[in-house]
Amino acid sequence: MSTPIRTPLPSSSNFSDQPRGNPDLRLSVEQASYVYAPNPSQAPLFTLEALSFQAKPGEIVAILGPNASGKSTLLKLVAGTLQPLSGRIFLNGFPTYSLVPKVRAQRIAMVQQESRLLFPSRVWEFVLQGRHAHGHGVRFASEGDVTIAQNALAQVGASHLADRWMDKISGGEKQRVILARALSQQPLLLLLDEPTLHLDIGAQVDLLESLRRLAAENRYTVLVVTHELNLTGEYADQVVLLQKGKCLRVGPPASVFQRDLLEHVFQAPLTVEMTSSGRPRVTLFNKS
Amino acid sequence: MADSTHSLVKRALLVCASFCMFFFTADLAAQTSLPASPVTPAMHEVTDGYGRTVRLPVNPSRIISLAPSLTETVYALGVEDRLVGDTDYCDYPPEAQKKPKVGGVINPNLEQIAALHPDLVLMTKEGNLLETVRALETLGIPAYATDAHTVDQIISATQKLADVMNVPEQGRALTTDMEQRLGALQTKLSGIPPRRVLFIVWPEPLQSIGQNTFIADALRRAGAASIVESNQDWPQVSLEEVARLQPEELIFAPSHSGAGDDFDSIANRPGWGILDAVRNRRYAIVSEAIIRPAPRIVSVIEDLARQLHPDVFIEKPVTEKEAHPANSAAPVTSGAQQKPIAYRSIEAMPTEISCAL
Amino acid sequence: MRPLTIGRLFLRCGVLALLLFVVVVIALKLGAVQVSLYGLGRDLIRVLLHQSAAISTDYGMIVVDIRLPRILLAVVVGASLSVAGTSFQALLRNPLADPYVLGISSGAAVGSIVALMIESQLAISPEYAGLMTPFGAFLGAAITIAAVYVLGRREGQIDSTTLLLGGVITASFLSSIIMFLMSTLAGSSFRGATYWMMGSLSSLPPKSLLYLLGIGFLVATGAIYTTASDLNLLLAGEKEAMHLGVDVPRVQIVVYLAASILTGLAVSVSGAIGYIGLLVPHAMRMIFGSDHRMLIPASALGGAIALVLADTIARTVVAPSELQVGAVTAIVGAPLFIYLLRKRLS
Repeated sequence: MSTPIRTPLPSSSNFSDQPRGNPDLRLSVEQASYVYAPNPSQAPLFTLEALSFQAKPGEIVAILGPNASGKSTLLKLVAGTLQPLSGRIFLNGFPTYSLVPKVRAQRIAMVQQESRLLFPSRVWEFVLQGRHAHGHGVRFASEGDVTIAQNALAQVGASHLADRWMDKISGGEKQRVILARALSQQPLLLLLDEPTLHLDIGAQVDLLESLRRLAAENRYTVLVVTHELNLTGEYADQVVLLQKGKCLRVGPPASVFQRDLLEHVFQAPLTVEMTSSGRPRVTLFNKS
Repeated sequence: MADSTHSLVKRALLVCASFCMFFFTADLAAQTSLPASPVTPAMHEVTDGYGRTVRLPVNPSRIISLAPSLTETVYALGVEDRLVGDTDYCDYPPEAQKKPKVGGVINPNLEQIAALHPDLVLMTKEGNLLETVRALETLGIPAYATDAHTVDQIISATQKLADVMNVPEQGRALTTDMEQRLGALQTKLSGIPPRRVLFIVWPEPLQSIGQNTFIADALRRAGAASIVESNQDWPQVSLEEVARLQPEELIFAPSHSGAGDDFDSIANRPGWGILDAVRNRRYAIVSEAIIRPAPRIVSVIEDLARQLHPDVFIEKPVTEKEAHPANSAAPVTSGAQQKPIAYRSIEAMPTEISCAL
Repeated sequence: MRPLTIGRLFLRCGVLALLLFVVVVIALKLGAVQVSLYGLGRDLIRVLLHQSAAISTDYGMIVVDIRLPRILLAVVVGASLSVAGTSFQALLRNPLADPYVLGISSGAAVGSIVALMIESQLAISPEYAGLMTPFGAFLGAAITIAAVYVLGRREGQIDSTTLLLGGVITASFLSSIIMFLMSTLAGSSFRGATYWMMGSLSSLPPKSLLYLLGIGFLVATGAIYTTASDLNLLLAGEKEAMHLGVDVPRVQIVVYLAASILTGLAVSVSGAIGYIGLLVPHAMRMIFGSDHRMLIPASALGGAIALVLADTIARTVVAPSELQVGAVTAIVGAPLFIYLLRKRLS
């Protein structure tokens, strides 16, 4: 096994004000809400009602819900790209929206589904991009940067792809490389928006297994937006259940996966069973 | 390498690069444009056609002409042995074609000009580019530009050129002759209403001349009036407008293939049949000297007058040419082809005639 | 895994710079008037040692006063256009972008035509004579830059697609203004305007202008170079770049302004010379990859080499006449572009 990437503790010189809240809590969402209203004179198009939850280092949190339930909006609020209308979102005690992009990128890594580069680049170049947030000016990769990038590739099992071209590798391999880039940012928080959408089942399981392993080894907090019930049930430590902009429940999968609740949210008949490992499993029925 | 060494090296190289750049360009600024010649010639100050005050040698001995009209004038003033270079388009008189060439009127080659070591370069405001004037200024080569919008201005420009080239007496002889001939023509044509004409620069798109050009003035002197009233120099006119004005005659100068050398190639174009002048075959062909502001303009005016008002000239046969052997153009009239008499030597008219100024 | 190091960067740039030097020497030698290499070397050394007056009359004016400024102009303009082209291709995320796609050359053309019209009415005094047209052109370019920036914003910050659209619309609008103005020009001004727009390096600008150009180039390229790493990330998309730590609005403004100024400066002095800004970045990308830390200096040097070569061809092929350098770049550039396109697709 390769050396786990140790997440460095943020030094106080990067911060502009004093940390707040419980330092053991990595992520704290406190009554955050958002309204999307492009035309001020008309009714808003979408409202995310105030919700709260918290996450610790090493935890995987799933943001679960059907389409248009506000999952991506919540993710953007956590990522700091949107400013909450009310409430605050703290990462290690600092509001995510008020961080400058560079500092934000040192702590929060977004794992995209796809990455289309205008001009193709090699895998190692791509992964090194993750080090951008830790450099300044016209950055030239240091030995430390190179080591971190190599480690990141090793962590996702893609070391053998290092010299390949990004446009010549398969979808699953690309997903791993994108994850490696996020890891090389050495973040506190990993955010993934529907990462399993384009993957086949084997690759989906691989990804979630890797996330679980990485979160445990490197003490990341991982937020995954998804509508996959069984993957969530199997891998999430916490679930935030959303429907039409409303948070219906927060908690471990065993407590969130109640049959009537899920049927109401997903509008589909189903049953919930508990497996031997204490994880719920959902079975969907035909509507007839 | 550690980061601090990186940035140090970067900064050092940046400083070096800037220093080299400055050093090199500073050298350019330091040197004078024209290496000092062993003997400083006498200079005087003259105002040219641009209104600039320029310092020119009193007695220029190496002259370059950047326009065909100026080359003609140089020959007309008898100082062609001082002409060391002219443009590719300078074709009249034929000997001018043998002079060293420095390129086109619009894009003369500065190196060729410099290599000929001129002490005076002649230009026209109308034909040459301002850019060329500036470039010669930057190089320190004395340049003089003429500007003529009327026939009188052509005459005064001729005198000024003669002064600049230090042959004022030849200038006066030439200009007096030009004025006398024009005066005689005016007397002859006095009281006769001018013919309404259309001067065709290019048939398609139809382009004529504006009223502020010397060509329009030349037409007036020849007893004609251009129907196109425009402040532009080379206005584009529509055939319908011409048809509304119905000129009595069409006038054009033969040019290289495209515009057509004869009346029929113009008359047969679609739509031109609506003009009375086309139906009645009323036209006059003049030499391209009409678009060159040079001494030959007087001959072409006379020739045009003869074509437009033949009844006025019946009593005066070809003796005009015997009385004035200098500056005769090669007149080509509508109808019979006469043997043309070229300037200063009986030669056939050159077959390639450019219509550049 | 071999990341770019400063050492490798300098080595490659050194090779290119050497190539540029060789090309400049060749260009100095060739021309309508023959110059010997020995005499050339001797005179250049004299120039460097401040003994310019010792240069014989034959060479002095031709090489040092006519050819050398022209070649230096080609170096700066070629470098400026290439760096601008590289920057716009990254900023707009479009490989077909060239420095003129945002209408800067059209704005400069309008400015230069207006300056020509004013100039022909007034008597020119020698000190200002050489500066009116370039100044007018730059003013036209600057106004266009500002206008397109305002048009190209979405929700307060530059959006690459909106910027491209705004620029294209502005360019076509300005083209119609140019056509209208040209129809009102007198003969010689008309010819002058046409020649200017085709792009030429024969205008022999005053020394002060060359200085300005050189300094402007260094400053603007330096500013763009500070964002070189950011541009690499920007190629993936604005959102993605932001998530990786790029201050996207700041980078966009800096690159947009600097690249526009580079284009404006180049076009003010030499008209719209085509294909250099489009093709040199692609050629350099094929050789060195699309890492902007290498690409920007490579484009600068490559563009200088390309334009000096094109200008030398323009000067010598039909001597003593000259071709327009814009025509040479088009004749050579178009087939080259097709070749590059096919190579990319295969």
